[in-house]
Amino acid sequence: MTGEPTDAAASSPGVTTCSHRWSMTDVRSGYLVVEGCYHCGARSSFFSEEPVAPMDEYREGPHIWEYLSGEQAVLFGLRCDRCGKVVDLSRLTGLAMSTCEDPECAVGRLAQELGRTASIYVALCGESTHESGRCVSEEGVAALQEYFNQGRRPGARRIVVVPCSMRSDADCCRGIVISDAGLTDL
Amino acid sequence: MSEIVEKTGLRPLGAWEDGDIAGVYCSDMASDIITGAPAGCLLLTLQTHKSLIASANVVDAAMVVFAHDKRPADDVRELADRVHIPLFCTTDDTWSYAVRLFDLGMR
Repeated sequence: MTGEPTDAAASSPGVTTCSHRWSMTDVRSGYLVVEGCYHCGARSSFFSEEPVAPMDEYREGPHIWEYLSGEQAVLFGLRCDRCGKVVDLSRLTGLAMSTCEDPECAVGRLAQELGRTASIYVALCGESTHESGRCVSEEGVAALQEYFNQGRRPGARRIVVVPCSMRSDADCCRGIVISDAGLTDL
Repeated sequence: MSEIVEKTGLRPLGAWEDGDIAGVYCSDMASDIITGAPAGCLLLTLQTHKSLIASANVVDAAMVVFAHDKRPADDVRELADRVHIPLFCTTDDTWSYAVRLFDLGMR
């Protein structure tokens, strides 16, 4: 296995025979700013590389966004060491370890199906309402899952990554968001 | 793992099974852990919240050691138990415990 894409794969965009070996690339430190619209309750988040997290209130279409929190965070992409493919994860604003057991939620049903063989992590995008129709890409979710599984020890629980659009309801699908909140509460 | 537990006087905070340790990672930041901790590592930290366990699980940390005698809440211990990550604590501060691991030959 050289990791090089075949000619056939090269002629089909997005298709490769490479058995990817992912590494993090373009790792940047900053703040994950979470905002809420106090009219409709929508939440939005974005990554900021400003020295201080922006806290301005502003109007955007029907929303009036108000600062809710700003936590230290990193933004990264994934690059295959073998074929050089780079996967953009700029829409990924967080990962949540799912504890959802709701049979009405696709994530909860998947958890029941997998049992103790795997841990489900939800890849969170910055838009709770998914109004724009965009979420973390399918390719990004797949690459993240491969990345977190590629170095695990034999017998370790498998990691299953799912997009946040799979949740029935952002407020009902329970999980533990990996965040650096509480650093001042040590 | 059992050699480290015995020689550094770690106190277990729940059930644990012996296993191999592949290095050490010291961090109190979840974002740093998921971008830097290697699989099979001993994770040395002060953080005791659930986010720490979620981070340790996704990078496949072999064990977590809380410095300065920090003790996680029961729900954090239950979460760690559910994903089979053994938890320990030491009365040492992070630096002192890291030096002890270094003296044991851990790199």
